[in-house]
Amino acid sequence: MIGDAPQHTGLADSEAPAPRILLRGVSKTFGNQNNGGGTLALANVDLTVRDGAFVSLLGPSGCGKTTILRMVNGLIAPDAGTITVSGQAPRPGPDMGFVFQSFRLIPWSSVRGNVEFALVETIPGKAERRARADRYIELVGLSRFADAYPSELSGGMKQRVALARALASEPAILLLDEPFASIDAQTRELMQIELMRLWTLRKSVALFVTHSVDEAILLSDQIVLMGPRPGRVLEVIDVGLNRPRWTYDVRAEPRFIELRSYLWDRIRTLVLTDPQSDFYGRDLSANI
Amino acid sequence: MKIAVYRLLFLAALIGLWWLASTQVARNLVPSPLATLQAAQRLIAEGRLGTALFDSLSIYLGGYTVAIFLGVPLGLLMGTIRPLGKTLEIFVYALSATPRVAFIPLIIVFLGLGPQAKILIIFLGAVMPILINTYAGALNSDQDLVEMARSVGAKRQRIFTQIVLPGAVPFIIVGLRVGATIGLINTVVAELYTAVKGLGGLLAIYGNTFRMAEYFVVVLTLALVGVVVTEALRFVEIRLGRWRRSEVIV
Repeated sequence: MIGDAPQHTGLADSEAPAPRILLRGVSKTFGNQNNGGGTLALANVDLTVRDGAFVSLLGPSGCGKTTILRMVNGLIAPDAGTITVSGQAPRPGPDMGFVFQSFRLIPWSSVRGNVEFALVETIPGKAERRARADRYIELVGLSRFADAYPSELSGGMKQRVALARALASEPAILLLDEPFASIDAQTRELMQIELMRLWTLRKSVALFVTHSVDEAILLSDQIVLMGPRPGRVLEVIDVGLNRPRWTYDVRAEPRFIELRSYLWDRIRTLVLTDPQSDFYGRDLSANI
Repeated sequence: MKIAVYRLLFLAALIGLWWLASTQVARNLVPSPLATLQAAQRLIAEGRLGTALFDSLSIYLGGYTVAIFLGVPLGLLMGTIRPLGKTLEIFVYALSATPRVAFIPLIIVFLGLGPQAKILIIFLGAVMPILINTYAGALNSDQDLVEMARSVGAKRQRIFTQIVLPGAVPFIIVGLRVGATIGLINTVVAELYTAVKGLGGLLAIYGNTFRMAEYFVVVLTLALVGVVVTEALRFVEIRLGRWRRSEVIV
């Protein structure tokens, strides 16, 4: 059996590091709640992310994955429940790096300017800030483009800039919201390896939102499977594949194949039983 | 370069048409290009054109500058402080839909016929497009970028100066350009309705006495001022918009 009933605590190891991110009974409703309207984005979510862990939030669209990231970052507040990050209430700042799906680069700033933008609060000295930015631009392989504007870059390069920006303040927590969803398939595979490399260099907590099963298994220590309407945690699964994973063919491992078919099955069931889904009630196994 | 040649060719065609019109229209209503050139030389030599241009430019730039220094900050405030914007916008739209010429008698009663009245008339014309476009630019700020800035811990002031303000610049420039044109129109209107001075004053004098060559000189001078001002603003726009690689029109 891959995942038993919901076990929100993740690793049941008493020697495991202290929790870095803790969600207890978190709920969030969007829209007007007064007249009974609004949609329940998250219902009673418990989640524990231990220090140094790479954790993926996996699930079909509409299960509140992005909402969790934004609440952990302190950009929005939950309606109920508590969130603690590094033992405190979440607050945006240089201690967390956020990589957005749509890159969100400042179009009128150069690559260097974009990376420096995230460092103003932490590094007051201009020369020092520039040196730090250049170091991370080099780390993602974009030194030649440090003075280029975002409009001159490809999608993959833009996302590398966004990654450099999130990493440059050397945050304890990295929040990634489907960062590779709008990148072509080849670039995406290279970016996944790139991310694993960077993450190995300096182990921070990574909370990674994706709806790709393969991506979740490839990158994570733990996968949090979520269900839609209302968004909730269904199951937490330990991946248990050896790192570094770019040195061998992870996809050929029996554990990978086992996890993938199990997760696919769960997600397909979720989609087919979700009345809001385009595939609701369809029999995908029937012959054409 | 090619465009410059095309423009010169078009200008030559316009002058050709003008010359043709001057030979066809009776009673000297359209002066020939040559007669206009001679009139221009005369007006410049007598110093009349220079004095009038100086008068007009000083009230024009006065009114326009005040419009910029009030319109841009107020537009930014309205765009960033939503309750303020929502409260004021209906009044701004109402005022901008009212022909500002309607206020001229009132302005004359309060400020007389001197430069203060003229500057106010120009200001009232120029400030509306500047204010409304700046407001639109601030409202249109990229919320995704604002959220990104919040997530790196940027303070309100930095979000404003580095995200909201630069994002509004293209809108502000459009406002400045429209404001400059309306300001110039109102300069002439002010000079016609209040103390008859400046280029508008010359228009009135030469128009009423049917001295069409001189009249044309004044009209062309006004057109030239308009071109210089809008081209200067376009230069600023291109300088500020270098990051928008694909949209730069040179």
